[in-house]
Amino acid sequence: MTGLLLIILSSVFFPGIILRIKSIASGRKGPGIMQPVKDIIVLFRKNNVFSDTSSLIFQIAPAVGLTAVLCSSLLIPFADKPALINFDSDFVYFSYILALGKFFMIIAALDTGSGFEGMGANREALFSMITEPAFFILLGTFSMLTGYTSFSDIFTQFYMSDSDFVMIFSLIGVYILIQIAMIENSRFPVDDPKTHLELTMIHEVMILDNSGFDKALIHITTYLKFAVYGSLIYNISVPAGWNIYLQLLLFAVVQALFASTVGILESFRARNRMRKNPDFILTLTAISIVAFVVVIIIRGKMI
Amino acid sequence: MINYLTVLFSISVVYLAVTERYRVYSRLLAIQGIILFGITFAELTDLKWYTLLFVASETLIFKALVVPYMLNRIILRTNVFKVHTNALSGFYSLILIILSLLASIFMANTLKNPQINTVFFTIAFFTLFAGLIIIVTHKLIISHLIGFLVLENSSFIFSMAVGNEMPMLINIGILLDIFVGVLILGFFGMKLKPNINELSLLKD
Amino acid sequence: MQNLLLTGIFLSFFIFFIPKNMKYWYTLLLLLTHILISSIWAAESIFYLSSPVSITIIPDILNYDFSLHIDKLSGFFLIVINFTSLMGFIYAYKYLEPYKRIKFELSFSIHYFSYLWLYLSMILVVCIQDGPAFIIMWEIMALSSFMLVIFNAENRTIMKTGINYLIQMHIGMIFILIAFLIAEKDSNILGFRSLDIYFSEHMNFPLFVIFFLGFGLKAGFIPLHTWLPQAHPAAPSHVSAVMSGVMIKMGIYGIMRVTASLHNDLFSIGIFVLSVSLISGVLGVMMAITQHDLKKLLAYHSIENIGIIGIGVGIGIIGTSQNMTLLSVLGYSGALLHVLNHSLFKSLLFFCAGSVLHSTKTKDVEQLGGLIKKMPYTAALFLFGSLSICGLPPFNGFISEYLIYSGMFKSLANTDLYMSFILVASITGLTLIGGLALFCFTKAFGVTFLGQPRSGKTKTAKEVSTVMLVPGFMILIVILLIGLASSIFTGPILLIVTETFNLSGLQNNFDDVRNSITKINVTGLIFIITVALIYYVRRVVLKTKIVTYGPTWGCGYTAGNSRHQYTSTSFADNFTLLAKPILRTTKSMESIGGENLFPESAVFRSKNHDIFKDFIIEYPKEFILKVLKKIAVMQTGQINHYILYAFLFILGALLLTYFKLI
Repeated sequence: MTGLLLIILSSVFFPGIILRIKSIASGRKGPGIMQPVKDIIVLFRKNNVFSDTSSLIFQIAPAVGLTAVLCSSLLIPFADKPALINFDSDFVYFSYILALGKFFMIIAALDTGSGFEGMGANREALFSMITEPAFFILLGTFSMLTGYTSFSDIFTQFYMSDSDFVMIFSLIGVYILIQIAMIENSRFPVDDPKTHLELTMIHEVMILDNSGFDKALIHITTYLKFAVYGSLIYNISVPAGWNIYLQLLLFAVVQALFASTVGILESFRARNRMRKNPDFILTLTAISIVAFVVVIIIRGKMI
Repeated sequence: MINYLTVLFSISVVYLAVTERYRVYSRLLAIQGIILFGITFAELTDLKWYTLLFVASETLIFKALVVPYMLNRIILRTNVFKVHTNALSGFYSLILIILSLLASIFMANTLKNPQINTVFFTIAFFTLFAGLIIIVTHKLIISHLIGFLVLENSSFIFSMAVGNEMPMLINIGILLDIFVGVLILGFFGMKLKPNINELSLLKD
Repeated sequence: MQNLLLTGIFLSFFIFFIPKNMKYWYTLLLLLTHILISSIWAAESIFYLSSPVSITIIPDILNYDFSLHIDKLSGFFLIVINFTSLMGFIYAYKYLEPYKRIKFELSFSIHYFSYLWLYLSMILVVCIQDGPAFIIMWEIMALSSFMLVIFNAENRTIMKTGINYLIQMHIGMIFILIAFLIAEKDSNILGFRSLDIYFSEHMNFPLFVIFFLGFGLKAGFIPLHTWLPQAHPAAPSHVSAVMSGVMIKMGIYGIMRVTASLHNDLFSIGIFVLSVSLISGVLGVMMAITQHDLKKLLAYHSIENIGIIGIGVGIGIIGTSQNMTLLSVLGYSGALLHVLNHSLFKSLLFFCAGSVLHSTKTKDVEQLGGLIKKMPYTAALFLFGSLSICGLPPFNGFISEYLIYSGMFKSLANTDLYMSFILVASITGLTLIGGLALFCFTKAFGVTFLGQPRSGKTKTAKEVSTVMLVPGFMILIVILLIGLASSIFTGPILLIVTETFNLSGLQNNFDDVRNSITKINVTGLIFIITVALIYYVRRVVLKTKIVTYGPTWGCGYTAGNSRHQYTSTSFADNFTLLAKPILRTTKSMESIGGENLFPESAVFRSKNHDIFKDFIIEYPKEFILKVLKKIAVMQTGQINHYILYAFLFILGALLLTYFKLI
C-alpha cells in the first residue's frame, strides 16, 4: 500500500521538477513545481471538442490507458513489504498491461483519421516493440541472479547476494531503466515533447485531438508512468532491508535525482534522427545481454 | 574491480558497432586505452617497476592519448566526419555484434583450459569479432584503420588472458602494438594530407 | 451410443436427397447429434475416468477391430473441435445466403456434406490409434476440406489454389505413411501403439523428423507453410475459420502424440522443434505485417500462433530431457491452452473478416475504413479478437503465453550455460512475437474500421444480421471466461498434461501456478471495474460541460480528404524498411518529372514477397517447367517418331543386356 501512495505522491512533483530544471538550465526562472498539477486542474474545467470521424474508441482510450498504468503500479513493492498484488513472473503482466494501454492509445490515434496521428501511432508501435526485449532480458538477468521471479521477491533478495557484483547489476539496471523510462514516455532523445513540428513527434502527436477531460487523463497517465519507472529504479538502487524512515527519505531523494537527471539530459542532448532510433533502442538490448553474460559468469557457469 | 572494467570495456565495444561519427570512434578508443591500463594494473600483481612503467606508457600514453590525437588530426585534415558508406545500417551491425557476443561465449566455454582466464578470453574474442565486422562492412580506409586498432586491443587482451605468469610475453605483444600503430598512423598521417577522394580511391 | 454414431454417419449420405430449404437444418441436426455424443465421451475421459474410454465400433473387419480410443488428450481436442465447428456452421447460415441464388443445389449439398465429413473426420482422427484407419481419416479430412475450399471455383485462381492445397496435403500424408511404415518394422503394429516399442530401441531423431514433416505440413510451420496463405483467403469465411481454428491443430495433435512416446534424443529434438517454431513465429508475423488482404493477414497470423504453440511444445521436450519437470509441465500446458485459445480468437477474427467481406464485397484493407460507424458490433468483436491475439490481459491469449513465460523464467535460475542461452533466446523470441503482433493488429483494426472511408466501397455497408453475430458473441463469452476465470480451464489442462506426457511428482508446485493465475484473474477484474468507473465519472463530468463536434484538426489545411490518412502499407512502412533483407518489399514508382510546374498523377507500387514461397515453390517450378519445355520437343505428334522411340528403347535394352549391364 505504501508503494502505491508513494508513486502517486511522486507523480505529483515529478513533472514540475523536470520542468524547473530545464528552465534553470536554459537560464530562466521557470514555472513553479506545482505548475503541471495546476494545468491538469485547468484542463478538468475545460470543455471538450471531439472530431466527428472518431468513435467510441476515442472516448474510452484515455480511461483504459490510465487504468493500465494504475494496475501496473499495483505490482511494484516498496522497502521489504511485498506489493499489493504479487505472483510469480509478474513482470510479464506488468509489461503486457502497459502494452494494453499503448494499444488503445495507438488505435485512438488512428481513430481520428488524421495523417499526423497515424505517423505518431506507427512510430510508437515500432519503438515499443523494440524496447520490450531489453526489459525482459534485464528482468531475466535479475531473476537469474536472485533465483526468484516476482518483483517483490527480486527486490528483497537483490542485495543479499554477493555484495561485490551486485553493484554492477544495480548500475546497469538503473541505466537501462532510465533509458526505457525515457523512451516509453517519449522524451529525449527519442522524441521531443516541446517541439511543435508534427513530423518529429511521437507521443505528443498522437494526442493532438484530445481536449479537456481526456487530455487531463492522458497527462496524469504520463506522469504516473514516469513515477512507476522511478519507483522501479529506486528499488534497484537502494537495499530493501534498511530502516523504513530512512527509506522514505531516500525515496524522495532518489526520485528528485531521477527527475533532475531527466531534466539535465533533456537540456543538453539533441534529439536523434528518427531513422537512428531503432539502433538506439536496440543498443539497450545489447547492454542487457552484456548484463546477462555477467550473471552467467557470476553464477559460476563459465569459469 | 576488474569486473567493472571488463563490463565497461564490453559496453564500449557495443557502442563501437552503433556509432556513425569518427570523433566518437576516437573517443571510444581513448576510453578503451584507459580501461586497458586499469585492467593491466589490477591484474598483473607481480610487476617490477620498469615493466609497470612500460605498460603504463603503452596503454595510457600511446593508446589513450597519441592515437586519438592523430586520428583527430586526420579527421580534421580530410574532413571525414561521418561514416557515409556503410554496407549495413546500425541496426544490423548491432544484431551482428550481439550474435558475436554469444558466439564468443560459446567458443570460450568450449575451449576451457585451466591456464587461460575465460573471462578475458571471451572479451578478446568479442573485440576480435567487433573489429572484423568494422573492417568488413565499412568502405573508407580510415574505418579500416580504426578496425585494425580494435583488433590490436583484442590481441592485447588475448595476451592478458594467457600471460598471467609470463610477463615477457606481454612485453613482446605490447611492442608489436606500438610498431604496427606507429607504422600505419605515420604512413597515413604524413602522406595523405589532401582531400577525401584519395582516401576512398585508395581502396580500389 | 456407438450405434448412434454409425447411424449418423450413414444418414449423412442422405443430404443429397433432402429438399433445398431443409438441407441446412438436417445437417445442423446431424452435427448437433455428433457433437453431443463426442462431448459426452470427452467429458467422461477428462473428468470422470482414470483410464481412456475405449469403444469398439465395428469389431473384426479385415482382421482387426475398428475401435475408438479416447484418452485425455483426445478429449481435449474433441472439445476444441466441437465448439468451433458448431460456431462455424451457425455462422454459415446467413453467410451462404447470397450464394443461394447463384449456385446450384448440388453445390450446396456437396458443401454441407463436406462440412459434416470434415467435422466427422476430425473427431475420428483424434480418437483413432490404429494406423490405416488414421490415414484414411486424414485423407478424408484433406479431401473434404478441399471440396470446401473450392466452393467458389468458378474463379480460376481459387481452383488452382485448391489443387495446390490438395497436392501439399498429400505430400504430408505420404510422409506420415512412410513414418508409420518405418515404425512398423519391429512390432508389426501399424499405428501409434508401435511408436513406444520403436522409440525405445532405435534413434528417435530421424523418425521424429519425418513425422514432423508430415504433421508440420498440416500445421503450417515455416518452411512448410506455403499453402496456408493461399488456401485460407480462397475459402469462404466459415471454412477459413474452421480450417484455421481446428484443422491445423490436427497437425499439432499428431506431433504431441509422437512426442508422448519419445524415449531418447530428447534434447536435440527439443532444440529442433524450438528453433523451427521460433522462426515460424517471428517470420510469420513479420510477413503478416506487410499484407493488405485481411484474410491473408489472418492466415499468416495463424502461422505465428502455431509457432507459439511449437515453442511451448519445444520447451516441454527440452524440460523433459533435462529433468526439469516444472518447465516441461508449464510448456506443454501453455501449448495446449494456446490450442484452445487460438481456435477461439482466430475463428472470431475470421467471422468478423467474413462479415466485412459480406457487407462491403472486398477484402482489401486499403479500400476500407470508418466501418466502425456502420458495423459497430462486428468492430467490437474484431477489437476483442485483436486484443486476445496480441496476448493482452485480461483476455485469454495472455494466460497461455503467461504459462510459457512462467515456466521459462522459473527454470532460468538453476540451469547450465547452454540452457540459459536457449531460454533467453526463446524469451526474446516470444517477446518479439508479442510486440510484432501488437503492431500488426493495431494496423489491421485501425485501417479497416477506424478513420475515414478510403474508397466508395464502404458506402453501402451495413451491419450483418444477428445470426452472423451470435457465434461471435458466444466465442467472446468463452474468451472472457478463460481470461477471468482461468482455473476452470487450467486445472484440467494441468491434469491432461501430467498424464499424457508422464510427468508427475509436482503437486505442490501447481499450487504456485494456480495461485498466480487466480491473482491474474483478480487483477483482470479490478482492471475492468476501474475502467468502467473512470468512464462513468467521465460521462458524469462531461454532462456538465459543453461538447462540440468538428472535423479533425488539419493544421490549417482545409482541403484535405480521406487520402491523407495512413494506409496499411504506410503504417507498416517503417517496419518493412527495417526488416528489408527478410521481407524483400520492392517499391517502384514513377517519379514526378522535374520540369512540371503542376505535377499531375504519379503511380506507386509496392510488392511483398514471401521468400519461402519463392525459393521452395516458384523457382523450382520455373526450373522444372523450363526443363520440361525442352524435353517436350520429343512429342511431335507423328506416329512414326513414336515407333522410332520404341525401336530405340528395344535396341538399347538389347545392347545393355549384351554388355551385361542390366
